[in-house]
Amino acid sequence: MSDQVVGAPPAHVAHGVHHEELGFWRKYVFSTDHKVIGIQYAVTGLLFLLFGFSLMMLMRWQLAYPGVPLPLIGQLFGEARMPGGTMLPEFYNELGAMHGTIMVFLGVVPLAVGGFGNFVLPLQIGAPDMAFPKVNMASYWCLFLGGITMLGSFLVPGGAAQSGWTSYTPLAVIAGTGQTWWLVGMIFLITSSLLGAINFITTTIQLRAKGLTFMRFPFFVWAQFVTAFLLLLAFPPLEAAGVMQLMDRVAGTSFFLPSGLVVSGQPLTNTGGGNPLLWQHLFWFLAHPEVYVLILPGMGIVAEVIANNTRKPLWGYRSMVYSLVFLGFMSFIVWAHHMFMTGMGTAMAAFFQTTTMIISVPSVVILTALIISLWGGSIRYNTAMLFAVSFLPMFGIGGLTGLPLGLNISDIPLHDTYYVIAHFHYVVAPGTIFALMAGIYYWYPKATGRRMNETLGKIHWFGSLVGMNIVFMPMFIIGMAGVSRRLFDAGSAYEFAQPTMHWNVVSSWGAWGMAVFQIPFIFNFFWSLRKGEKVGDNPWQATTIEWSAPSPPPHGNFVAAPQAYRGPYEYSVPGAGKDFVAQYEA
Amino acid sequence: MRATGNPLWLAAGLVAVLSWPGVAVAASSVTGTVVFDGKAPALKPLDMAAEAVCHKKHGSKPAPNEALVLGTGNTMGNIMVWVSKGLPAGKTWPAPQTPVVLNQDGCVYKPHVMGIMVGQPYRILNSDGILHNIHTFPKINPSFNRGQPATVKEMSTTFGKPEAIFQVKCDVHPWMLAYVGVFTHPFFSVTGTDGKFTISGLDAGTYEITAWHERLGTQTASVTVSGSDKKNQDFKFALPGAGAK
Repeated sequence: MSDQVVGAPPAHVAHGVHHEELGFWRKYVFSTDHKVIGIQYAVTGLLFLLFGFSLMMLMRWQLAYPGVPLPLIGQLFGEARMPGGTMLPEFYNELGAMHGTIMVFLGVVPLAVGGFGNFVLPLQIGAPDMAFPKVNMASYWCLFLGGITMLGSFLVPGGAAQSGWTSYTPLAVIAGTGQTWWLVGMIFLITSSLLGAINFITTTIQLRAKGLTFMRFPFFVWAQFVTAFLLLLAFPPLEAAGVMQLMDRVAGTSFFLPSGLVVSGQPLTNTGGGNPLLWQHLFWFLAHPEVYVLILPGMGIVAEVIANNTRKPLWGYRSMVYSLVFLGFMSFIVWAHHMFMTGMGTAMAAFFQTTTMIISVPSVVILTALIISLWGGSIRYNTAMLFAVSFLPMFGIGGLTGLPLGLNISDIPLHDTYYVIAHFHYVVAPGTIFALMAGIYYWYPKATGRRMNETLGKIHWFGSLVGMNIVFMPMFIIGMAGVSRRLFDAGSAYEFAQPTMHWNVVSSWGAWGMAVFQIPFIFNFFWSLRKGEKVGDNPWQATTIEWSAPSPPPHGNFVAAPQAYRGPYEYSVPGAGKDFVAQYEA
Repeated sequence: MRATGNPLWLAAGLVAVLSWPGVAVAASSVTGTVVFDGKAPALKPLDMAAEAVCHKKHGSKPAPNEALVLGTGNTMGNIMVWVSKGLPAGKTWPAPQTPVVLNQDGCVYKPHVMGIMVGQPYRILNSDGILHNIHTFPKINPSFNRGQPATVKEMSTTFGKPEAIFQVKCDVHPWMLAYVGVFTHPFFSVTGTDGKFTISGLDAGTYEITAWHERLGTQTASVTVSGSDKKNQDFKFALPGAGAK
């Protein structure tokens, strides 16, 4: 690791002062400014989160009341999807596959990495912009095209992809036209992530403010830095795999189709020599690091919010950083724990369950450090902090319940049950999404110059926390009863699933209730743009460099080139005149 | 008043009336009987033990395998017979709006073999009140593959292109099979257990008639009709190697 300091060229600072005013299209649409692109990413991500959430609410109706026509809006989906308002299995499969795809690749990643990464990272390292502004713009528009392709797939004959967000072969190869659109969309999305990752890595290394050594990075910067490496190294195999599956579907190749494949009693003619498991390996080689792509930026945000609101330095900052790097490395050698059911053999299973147990150690170190950071703090319970603090137990539940899935012997009975859904969602929904919400409330003043309403924020937090647990806790019970996650009717046709059916009703009402509690957030988000309390450059009395920029920051970000004089979390320094000493203050 | 009957006008009027769609004039028909030649193999009845609802529905008498349905005198049911060649090029026949119905009853498709015209509604009923899946395996038309949950009692679709017989299958209950032929004309018929078929409404001409069985393949015959002929054309199927004629 180099401690070389590369100062941002002062000439770049406050460019806006000298630049001619850009027109609407170049300023707000095809912008190369990292802040505008960050906001574009964030808004796009939030809209897709809302859309993916809506798909889930439809699914929850079917799971709570299988076969019962959906009142009021059911008939709007047409005879091919919901005849008489009753959901057909194929539509349920569409919703399931697209909910997962949209929430992961079009919701959380664009918001966590594209949104927060683009907006906050250059500001936190004192950079005037990203290293490659035009590549940055291209990255966003690739995401946009990918999103449009995914949305458009709902309109093609046969509907959107139905093979799950994992698109396992050979099922996905023989699926309807929507799967082709899914693959094309994924290629756009992966390209977007790769462009972004290169930019983040280059920017972080090259455009640091003077004095900002690696060990003076805010933890959020470290999280984004490691995340960028994960994206850069893990996505290319999936991009290749996506092209290969596309060729299997449209060009008659047989990368993933085994010889002699018979589907519904009909032999397929274009099969031969392919390997369905190859897809699983290539997919999970991306998708396990992808889990950390989802969670690491969240951890970064929570670290910033906790340090600021406890008015204490992060406990064990260096341990957290080393854990983060180790975690990033290990995330590449655990992927096959998703594949214990494929009969990989005891030697391979032993290797992957060992690495999986090992990777839990750095996660626990980070989580423990964040929890200990609360100890003895003068905690400010604002909305951002409430979300950040809620993240800790929620992610803890998600992480701990993952351990049985990482062990071969307990994974086999739990595999593909609702237990997996509950575990994963505790990591990503009340985990990552709570962290993202914390980040929105925390950096909203920097982006807009105004603070979001705290009362509405606390209503949003309370409803979300209660709602999330009502949604996902019953799924552990349903899963441990052995109910498969793939059943379009929640298992109502099976005797063994009957005792769990009422938990689906509970879970669904939790989801719809949680939806109601998102209304204050949506209102607050827009209302505060105009009516929110105006704030200065550093409304949270924070230490990191982004708070030295005007709110909102101008083109070029800083009035004068910032410099880092100390670590990122100098709170409650003994003998200091105030309870924080900013990183950028001489 | 003096009658003004001009023979040319009368002839033109007559031609116009007779050529109007739906007006049949002196049409011919082809009838026949399909029989099985030889000793009929014993087919195992369908095993529905995996589906309690349907197993119970059939009670002590299990559903027969419909791959070979024989009547008295070895007459063959479920034989699709249609005009495969000889129809005038360019002539079209409107598709009836009356739907062809496929019912899923006791985990059996009823009927087992059916013909339908291009664009004619294909109505799919679920009388069982359990999840079924209708999966067609055409080569020309797009595949229709849709689940029909217990509470969805009816669905419908159409086929856009003519296509000789293809299979319909339930992916939930793999013993459920049916066969559909899609035609641009109404000259097709499916035999009942008595083995009889009738194709009527044919204009004068020479036609190729094809008879099809799901396991025993196809047979063809050439039939020439004129006026209001009622021609007979029988078919005989036999097991491969048994000397079918």
